[in-house]
Amino acid sequence: MNGSESDPLEPGLGHWLRERVAHYAQREPAEIDPSANLTSYGLDSVYALSLCGDIEDRLGLVLEPTVAWDHPTIEALAAHVEGMLTDARRPQDAG
Amino acid sequence: MTSSARTSASALSPASVPSTGPARPDASGAGVVTATASKPVLSGGTVDLEAFEQALGDPFDPSAPLSFARSAESDRREQFPADMCRLLDRLGMPSLYVPVEHGGALARYDELTAAVRSVARRDLTLAVGHAKTFLGGVCVWLAGRPEQARALGADIVAGVPVAWGLTEHGHGSDLLAGTMQARRDGDGYRVRGEKWPINNATRGDLICLLVRTRPEGGPRGFSLLLVDKRRLPHDRYRHLPKVPTHGIRGADISGLAMDDCPVPAGALVGTEGGGLETVLKALQLTRTVCTALSLGAADQALRITVEHAARRGLYGRTMVDLPHVRRALGRAHAALFTAEVVSVFAARAVHTMPEELSVISAVAKAYVPSRVDELIMTCEELLGVRGFLADYHEHGAFQKLHRDHRVVGVFDGSTFVNRHSLISQFTLLARGHARITANPAGVEGAADLTAALPTPRMHRLSLTARGGCGLTQGLAGAAADLRGLTADGRAPARLADLADELNGHCERLHEELALCPPSSQFAPPEAFTLARRFELCFAGAAALRVWLHNAAAGHDGLWLEACLVHVLQSLRPARTAADEAVFDRLFDALRTGAPVAPPTTGGGL
Repeated sequence: MNGSESDPLEPGLGHWLRERVAHYAQREPAEIDPSANLTSYGLDSVYALSLCGDIEDRLGLVLEPTVAWDHPTIEALAAHVEGMLTDARRPQDAG
Repeated sequence: MTSSARTSASALSPASVPSTGPARPDASGAGVVTATASKPVLSGGTVDLEAFEQALGDPFDPSAPLSFARSAESDRREQFPADMCRLLDRLGMPSLYVPVEHGGALARYDELTAAVRSVARRDLTLAVGHAKTFLGGVCVWLAGRPEQARALGADIVAGVPVAWGLTEHGHGSDLLAGTMQARRDGDGYRVRGEKWPINNATRGDLICLLVRTRPEGGPRGFSLLLVDKRRLPHDRYRHLPKVPTHGIRGADISGLAMDDCPVPAGALVGTEGGGLETVLKALQLTRTVCTALSLGAADQALRITVEHAARRGLYGRTMVDLPHVRRALGRAHAALFTAEVVSVFAARAVHTMPEELSVISAVAKAYVPSRVDELIMTCEELLGVRGFLADYHEHGAFQKLHRDHRVVGVFDGSTFVNRHSLISQFTLLARGHARITANPAGVEGAADLTAALPTPRMHRLSLTARGGCGLTQGLAGAAADLRGLTADGRAPARLADLADELNGHCERLHEELALCPPSSQFAPPEAFTLARRFELCFAGAAALRVWLHNAAAGHDGLWLEACLVHVLQSLRPARTAADEAVFDRLFDALRTGAPVAPPTTGGGL
């Protein structure tokens, strides 16, 4: 599982996450490096928790608020969320 | 279990008001209290808060076990109140720091806060020094192994003090900047670094330390070690000297230095890397409990001031009859009632909606100490020079509590830190408010004081309140319910007007929260103002809810009116005379001994 999957379940997830991080960091999305640690943009550990709510909201998943602590780059976070989506959709695929 | 934290509904305030009869016994009656003082009244089998309050005695009486006279002496000598701590140990207070499942008596957080308030209304230094053990243990209750929690519980119930080592010199509230380091060494760790200033760092036989376990740090770079100093090599650690302080002068505010000190692997609390998460959850509980320190200080300040005003003759009248004094005292009681409602609501919310505690505890810890600071200033003005003298009036109790209370708004997360924590949740608060996503049952369970409290489900504590805040989301509904009650005369229309006004403020506030740009590290002053307004809306909503769910026959809503006016005065641009008169009526009613205090008021002085 990594961030450069060729056929993502959620197209544009990485791009969207980059925009959210840019929003919280109050920067331009172009300034945000998807492979850099979120804290390098001044996104403190408590604000990183807000990303969880945004992701839940967009994708209808329930995540641990600390998801961005355990997956602290945009790439890692996107990969993790893709993995969760795969797990979440598997029963439907089977049926 | 247990008696309820809610005891006689009006005990505190009427007794703190002079005309209701002998508010305190003569010195000669005190021997009885002392004689019964050593039996445990708080234990796994029983939590008898009224007996606890009785056993502590009347602090105005110099021969009582906890008296202003004794407290003044410890304070003057900057000496830890060890005898008084032993009395609390004998009464079973430490068992309230330990959850029932780990061998203690803590089944209800409102009982713990009531007990802490009882101690704090006599001596805040003592309460800070003793209750610290709860703070020291709480991470283990949340994340420790069952046998680790059981062993710590047994130590605490036996009276062993426990400290909590979070802060370090030069880093203050920034926990991720901590440099005390633990590196793996064989079966255990080697710990190096200093924690300072730490309450009970020297007295505590055990200390729960937040240590860096990844050199690069970060939110997963810290862990907790429950260190038993009794089992450490003596040449590998030392205590840093007690720090002279402005208030709580008798408290053991010192530090701990570890010099490559070996610590067994079994000291780890929870997972390696889980330290910050556990601490942030633990702080939600400790911040809730710390509000009781402020309530105790407010009880004490008001009682001293009211008794003084009742005795003092001025211009041919008693001071308490002067219009300005009457109003100031009425307003101060409204401030206390509002703070109390917030504190009790938060303590019950631990049980009914732990998933929102990241918001609720931040509101409570920001709101209660800062409003009590204001209340103490009001009392200071009324006491005049007496409030300033170290020995003259009640052994200088007032100037001591004034100094002691200053620390409550600073430690365990300052008002600034708590507001910052609210600011970081503005997006969730605004989103939740627009959609009404929080669970209304949790609000009702917290506000209805007769509702049974479920066992706290600590795994539901969360670093963010993902659904926002149910109490403020339900304010519109609560205001409408109140309006409904006015239709057939069950509530005065004026109350409904005030509730509608509060709801209007709350709606406007949430529109502004939605527009507030994120501010990760450097929140602007405007965001702090929004946080303060949120606290006020929350406090008013809590009062309204508690009234709605507990209004008994004959309750005219006076306390609620006073609480709503009190919070609205800080939300509105200017005061109006019509509002202010409620404080006169409140104080007049208190003086007659009528049961006008909110039902959150426990048995008091």
